[in-house]
Amino acid sequence: MEKRLSELKPGESGVIISIQARPNHRRRRHHGWGFQKRLEDMGLTPGARITVVKSAPFHGPIEIRVRGSRLAIGRGMAKRILVRVEK
Amino acid sequence: MKKDKIIVALAGNANVGKSVIFNHLTGLHQHVGNWPGKTVEKAEGTLHFKGYTIDIIDLPGIYSLSTFSIEELISREYIAVENPDLVINVVDASVLERNLFFTLQLMELEAPMVVALNQMDMAKKKGIKIDHKKLEKMLGAPVVPTVATSRTGIYELMLASVDTIERGIEKTAGIRYGEEVEARIQKLSKMVSKLQLPYPVRWVAIKLLEGDEQIEGRIRQLDPNISFAARKLAKEIEGIHGHSCSTVITSERYEIAGRIAREVQQIVPSTKLPMRERLHAVTTHKILGYPIMATVILSLFFAIFSFGDYTSQLLSVLFEHFHSIYESLFGTEILATLIWGGIIEGLIAGITIALPYLIPFYLVLYFLEDSGYLSRIAFLMDNLMHKIGLHGKAFIPAMLGYGCNVPACLGCRIMETERERLLATFVVTLVPCAATSVIILGLVGAYVGFQWALLLYIIDLLIIFVLGRVAFKMLPGEPTGLIMEMHDYRTPHLETIVKETWFRLKEFVKMAFPLIIVGSFIIKLMEVLGLLKIIAYVLNPITVVWLGLPAITGITLIFGVLRKELTLLMLLTLFKTEFGTADFANVPGFGPREMIVFTLVTMLYIPCISTIAALVKEQGWKRALFITFFEIAFAIVVGGIAYRLLMLTGM
Repeated sequence: MEKRLSELKPGESGVIISIQARPNHRRRRHHGWGFQKRLEDMGLTPGARITVVKSAPFHGPIEIRVRGSRLAIGRGMAKRILVRVEK
Repeated sequence: MKKDKIIVALAGNANVGKSVIFNHLTGLHQHVGNWPGKTVEKAEGTLHFKGYTIDIIDLPGIYSLSTFSIEELISREYIAVENPDLVINVVDASVLERNLFFTLQLMELEAPMVVALNQMDMAKKKGIKIDHKKLEKMLGAPVVPTVATSRTGIYELMLASVDTIERGIEKTAGIRYGEEVEARIQKLSKMVSKLQLPYPVRWVAIKLLEGDEQIEGRIRQLDPNISFAARKLAKEIEGIHGHSCSTVITSERYEIAGRIAREVQQIVPSTKLPMRERLHAVTTHKILGYPIMATVILSLFFAIFSFGDYTSQLLSVLFEHFHSIYESLFGTEILATLIWGGIIEGLIAGITIALPYLIPFYLVLYFLEDSGYLSRIAFLMDNLMHKIGLHGKAFIPAMLGYGCNVPACLGCRIMETERERLLATFVVTLVPCAATSVIILGLVGAYVGFQWALLLYIIDLLIIFVLGRVAFKMLPGEPTGLIMEMHDYRTPHLETIVKETWFRLKEFVKMAFPLIIVGSFIIKLMEVLGLLKIIAYVLNPITVVWLGLPAITGITLIFGVLRKELTLLMLLTLFKTEFGTADFANVPGFGPREMIVFTLVTMLYIPCISTIAALVKEQGWKRALFITFFEIAFAIVVGGIAYRLLMLTGM
């Protein structure tokens, strides 16, 4: 089942399928290059296994575990990460 | 070749104990400044070891060597172009995979390297056992296990470093990507090798395939055919893998890092939840997290301000005494007054205002950052701060701004990108500091009514909100959402924190004090020469006509640059000589309406000179002046509008 990372519940895990570039970004060629590159540099690459630990209240960031480390990621960014949910 | 002077750069992720190692190595022989023309901090130090004089450069803590932030650019330019004799890659043994991702990139830059496998104690606590000999073999670079906080392995690290340099530059093997990628790297390398570049050929080829803007731009200038070919090859990889070429390369790099990590480490997780995990759970808890945060921040700020306030008062009294001694010695001649009022008072202002708050603030800030709590606060506050286009991390400097804008400005360095730093710094200068609060409460609160004082605070919040959003939209560069590592809680290394505080303080004094002294000297000189009345007259169209204030407020507003609370004291003195009353309630032409307008303008119009100095230090002259003049203009506009609105309401 495919879901956005932002839709995963605490405790759920999955494998990243893809990261969507920023839709309304104005740059010519590199569509949201910096954003996507940043996520990938932090280890959120396609194929990486990811577990949601919890999310901050009031639609705050999400705490995830990826590649043995703990990250906080903003909800806006989490929306652009497509994940195949593991049962 | 044997040389006596060698240069070693420390590189690694943020929060891996790099600064602890740096402080062990350099002790008190260090200097903290900025990279030339940049707002990024540069720490340098020297160490004498085995007959060598070793210059140590502490590169910024980063996760990658791409172009995400100015820190990443600085680091890779430094390593590739300045060619340090050795790079010590500090690695957090407890988060090996992520750290090795960075190590692999250093290897691609073909830097001679030694790996400090740091925080071995933390790894052990997490049940991670690492075979460092095996890691050494796999990386092709010496690996030294260290526990920086207890100095373990630091000597061995330096031995290995000197040994590596003496053996001559040993190029690390680099990594091999998948076949499709590797074939294209080779192809591109051949083309690139014809160019004269300060970077390693293979690295340039990889960066071209990744679509690295900076490298691509450079190559396009030299030979557009190569950048064209690179784009074509990248498209081919994209076709094969279904992801962008940059994604494919980054992902393969991480896979290699992961493979190495899995091969060298054994993890036996403990069965019971350790203390630091429980602490993490409770401090980021959706309900409990907030009262805990409020308690921690309030008590820390209370500590900062009571210490600051007490020390500040004490120093003021002390200098008061000096003043009477000074006057009895040198009299009150013009020159003597000028020297006291201009030079010495500027110095006093710096010492009594900035330092008492700065010292505890730096200590607290580094404590929060080092222990890991800062990232938890950012986690909890991110959503709120996002409303003004900032990250959760900016919450600390913003809150601190209510006490004093100076440390708040300096604290903005915890933001990750240059864009965020500028934005946070700008917002922070709009926060009413304690001196501004003295005016808000002492004038409007006392003479107009408490609800009006409260209203001013609310207006200020609204202004921060609006201007923050506007600046967020207008600033060039890509806005980035929050993505932040929350490293495990740990006990901060006190010695490092104290040293960090000391060297930043020293740097601030060197930078800010001349500015503060010159500023106050100029103003005092104007006063002595009787220029102030003229200036007040010149300012009449603004103060009297537009803002509806008494003419003499022009003088006080100029003095407010030195210290904002001076505006109120000056106003009192001037009213006394003019109208013979020291009670604001009885001054003709200075009713509630004027009080509100005056306070509003004082609140917004300019950061005080110490803050300007902090701005210059952090952002450079151009931006500091821009922010200053913008805020003056803005305050005047807002003040005039408020005056007219208050008239309409019949106040």
